[in-house]
Amino acid sequence: MKYYLLLAIGLFLFSTSVSAQENLKKVTVSGYVNDSTSGEALIGAAIYIKEMQKGTNANAYGFFSLTLNPGKYTLIVNYIGFREQVMEIDLQSDKKLDVDLLPNGIEKKEVVIVAERKDKNVQSTDMGRVELEVDKIKSLPALLGEVDILKTLQLLPGVQNAGEGNSGFYVRGGGPDQNLILLDEGVVYNASHLFGFFSVFNPDAVKNVTLIKGGMPAQYGGRLASVVDISMKDGNQKKFKASGGIGYIASRLTLEGPIVKDKSSFMISGRRTFIDLFLREPFIKSDSRLAGNSYYFYDLNAKVNYTLSPKDRLFLSGYFGRDVFNFKSADTGFKVRIPWGNATTSLRWNHLFNDQLFMNTSIIFNDYKFEFGASQQEFDFRIFSGIRDYNAKIDLNWFPNILHNVKFGGNYIYHRFTPTNAYARSGDVVFDLGEVTRFYAHDAALYLNDEWDVTEKFRVNAGVRASYFAHVGPFSRYVEDPSFPGKFLDTIDYAQGRKVADYLNAEPRFSMRYELNKSSSVKASFTQNYQYIHIASFGSVSLPTDVWVPSTDKVKPQFGTQYSLGYFKNLKDNMYETSVEVYYKEMKNQIDYEEGATPDGDVRNNPDNNFVFGKGWSYGAEFFVKKSMGKLNGWIGYTLSYTKRKFPDLNQGRTFSAKYDRRHDASLVVVYDHSKKWTFGLTWVYATGDALTLPAERYFMSAGPPVNIDQSGQVGVNNNFYILSGFDKRNDFRQKAFHRLDISATLRSQKQRNYETEWVFAVYNFYGRQNPYFIYFDVQGNSQDGNQKVQAKQVSLFSVIPSVTYNFKF
Amino acid sequence: MMKKYFILIIACIAMISSCEKNIELDLPPIDQKVVVEGYVENGLPPYVILSKTEPYFDPIGQNTINNLPVRGALVYISNGIDTVQLTELDTSINGVSLGGFYVALDSVTFLPTMIGTPGTTYSLNIITAAGEQLSSIAKLPMPIPLDSTWFKVQEDLDSLGWAWARLSDPDTLGNAYRWFAKRLNKDDFFIAPIGSIFEDRFINGRSFNFPYNRGTIQNSEAEEDNNEEADYYKKGDTIVVKFCTIDFATYEFWRDAENQVSSNGSPFAVPSNVKSNIAGGRGLFATYTASFDTIIAN
Repeated sequence: MKYYLLLAIGLFLFSTSVSAQENLKKVTVSGYVNDSTSGEALIGAAIYIKEMQKGTNANAYGFFSLTLNPGKYTLIVNYIGFREQVMEIDLQSDKKLDVDLLPNGIEKKEVVIVAERKDKNVQSTDMGRVELEVDKIKSLPALLGEVDILKTLQLLPGVQNAGEGNSGFYVRGGGPDQNLILLDEGVVYNASHLFGFFSVFNPDAVKNVTLIKGGMPAQYGGRLASVVDISMKDGNQKKFKASGGIGYIASRLTLEGPIVKDKSSFMISGRRTFIDLFLREPFIKSDSRLAGNSYYFYDLNAKVNYTLSPKDRLFLSGYFGRDVFNFKSADTGFKVRIPWGNATTSLRWNHLFNDQLFMNTSIIFNDYKFEFGASQQEFDFRIFSGIRDYNAKIDLNWFPNILHNVKFGGNYIYHRFTPTNAYARSGDVVFDLGEVTRFYAHDAALYLNDEWDVTEKFRVNAGVRASYFAHVGPFSRYVEDPSFPGKFLDTIDYAQGRKVADYLNAEPRFSMRYELNKSSSVKASFTQNYQYIHIASFGSVSLPTDVWVPSTDKVKPQFGTQYSLGYFKNLKDNMYETSVEVYYKEMKNQIDYEEGATPDGDVRNNPDNNFVFGKGWSYGAEFFVKKSMGKLNGWIGYTLSYTKRKFPDLNQGRTFSAKYDRRHDASLVVVYDHSKKWTFGLTWVYATGDALTLPAERYFMSAGPPVNIDQSGQVGVNNNFYILSGFDKRNDFRQKAFHRLDISATLRSQKQRNYETEWVFAVYNFYGRQNPYFIYFDVQGNSQDGNQKVQAKQVSLFSVIPSVTYNFKF
Repeated sequence: MMKKYFILIIACIAMISSCEKNIELDLPPIDQKVVVEGYVENGLPPYVILSKTEPYFDPIGQNTINNLPVRGALVYISNGIDTVQLTELDTSINGVSLGGFYVALDSVTFLPTMIGTPGTTYSLNIITAAGEQLSSIAKLPMPIPLDSTWFKVQEDLDSLGWAWARLSDPDTLGNAYRWFAKRLNKDDFFIAPIGSIFEDRFINGRSFNFPYNRGTIQNSEAEEDNNEEADYYKKGDTIVVKFCTIDFATYEFWRDAENQVSSNGSPFAVPSNVKSNIAGGRGLFATYTASFDTIIAN
């Protein structure tokens, strides 16, 4: 810990003190890069000094700063999808320079999927980092026409989908809880609707998505596998705009516009499903089996921003989403209501101390809740769980000179975890399900990160993150009798604020690039991460019932180490980008439920009493070829990987494959920009089947004592049998391979006045592949005839699904 | 319960276009294990049925049933004072020899050599002809009879309803129960409905009312089990309730067994073995202390 910190600080002081000397007579050009039509900040836009062949990228708020020797320079600013702007500047003193880029697309709509500086692939130290520009992914085919950011990310190498139609994903062998998903800096704990089929991100409200799957810089922490950083649109600064769409699943409406022109703007965006309107009369008869069911989800995104002064800007953004499922059985009076969802709010203040030092301060609140309520006559039953965070952050970005980009800051979160709690009542009798149990924790971090051009060819990105986590009271630790689950030998009570357990760790992050020539480079990275909050899941599919728990006296923080090495080459004047990355990753203190655990074991108990701990590791190679220019663009990705787990208390201590251990994972994405009117999209994915546990053997058990004697002495023979399964090796079987082709065509109307419309026709699973969703066993035939057998049946979720979506904009 | 509703929702979604097909799975060969079904009930001689596990997808027929019983094993039960060897009986149903049936009856007089007594801990020891050794221990709990039982018609249904009971759970943690019932002259034996077992972790020391629906035999083809009367008792039924206190291991076995059967293949469940109290094999050494009640449904 100390060692790393000293090393990092030493390195930092050395490098910047050198810079400080050079700085003596330097001048700074700084400003914001914006979209000239809407005033939206262009995150990651490239600013390049031609004479020096060096440059920088705009930060998450569109700000850039370059400190140079006085002189005349040619400044080139570009962002894919926008016209490149070339400016001659005579830099003799510090200069403010806001750059407004004009979109390419007004006349000629160029469709480019990934926004990057032309040779950023080769030049940056980033490994496994991809930015998606949301406007552009809308041309890709989507399940039921519902454009989904997280599903587009799954098309990248190293990112695996969590199954048919699922927006969950696995990055380089990490579990779904190891991805940090941020929406305007607020953590989104459950990123899906409808049990995983759709993600909670309304594409109309989102501006930019960045995925980091390896070499995570020090400003991010708290998860082992990846960061998905999503920025909401700020709202058009120039004029009022409305856009929306009608699809099979949901309909959308977004309004945005200036409050005070060029100073302040707002954006509000809503999305809701309308299935529930069709699950009732007259569409469904009241005596139908489906009657009484209803389901809907909605999302609401809102954001306002205000420019207080040239140096200060405020942003207030919020997200609120809910899924609600209702079921009512007419004949038994049985009612179920399951609502769940996220809410996040963030208030951010950007402040420029000077041309070289940018600060963002954020205050963030987020909350995820799940509830299940059931009632029937005298019975009432309720389960609830959730997580709530109060979060404060300061991030500073310092540009001492053109060789350095320094980021440092701190973060504090107060967590309140509500693991599965239950309430049950029968008539007047309330069942004893214990007090509501909660976990409280302090979660803090400090970081320092410098991206430094050491020589012309050699750039390093080095940082360290110091993280501290404390689980505090009020808390009751139930000490379980090992031979009698549910019976407690003792209860240890911790008063409010008293420390139950704490952890202090240093997380070194290092990546480097060595440029071989103008078009190729070698990169390497080494990162260590700690993760203090965890999901243990009962099923093999992540569900809204999955409960987050903190590190406690029993649950040690997850610890991950990743090494990666890559070769990056651009061909044909940056027309094609190619890369090969290999990685090895180790994960310690991984969590799972003990064999045979059920959710009721968490009630009136500490959930971590039911956990078992082990380790995991993953290694693989990722190949990527991308063409991002021209009428025909897209990419091919292929990943070869191995992901294993070993838990002393699972699978008899033997190593087993993770469910998502995927030997081969390939994807092809093609967009063809045929004309102003038509754009065509195609995606094809292939993945090795999931690892699966199948029964090895079966046996018969009589459902009760076979010999029945009642109190009158009457004898009967119980011939009610259960066929039970015996399992041996965990995840030792493979589902059939998964592959699927989706196609789409987008038809744009000619723009009339300011009104634009668009029809998106798509076919999901074009060739009707029956991909395995799950396998179950059916007992067929009659044992008396001697022809009874157990038949395995494979259920596939989606066959060919055509869809039409209508979008408008004015 | 929650899982069931998720499956329902998924089923709704899947109705859009899902499809299923038979698939053949190649499983590796298995080492057959001995399956023990041991029973100690109050007032009855203990008995044990021994069989074997078999490959999951083998056809189920008379051949396999004939091959399953484990014959010629030495089976001993001890109550802590006496140890008796159980006598192997060759029983047959419809001409199918079942075998593997061992009971605490004298091989000559057929008089019981041991009788289940509540409060006693029993140990079971088995040595098969092939030399496999299996053992288990279980306690026959004290009886806890129901306070009362009755029949109540379900809200809108004029003659159909459930059997209700009131239980006062003693103020000691660790009691577990199993409910069986049969209709006189209609059912041949006591049937356990799904969810027949419960324990007192959440109800310790409380008195409360609870209902049970009518249990049916797995895959029953009887008409009343497949029409609107399914799961219900009917006015005119005489219901005999066999309410048992059970050893905690018996509770855990049936909790897991019911879970395993109901979550068959579900993507929401991790497949896992049923927790067994048999060392050296699969199955259960079960204890049941029964008390009986009769409900006249009217």
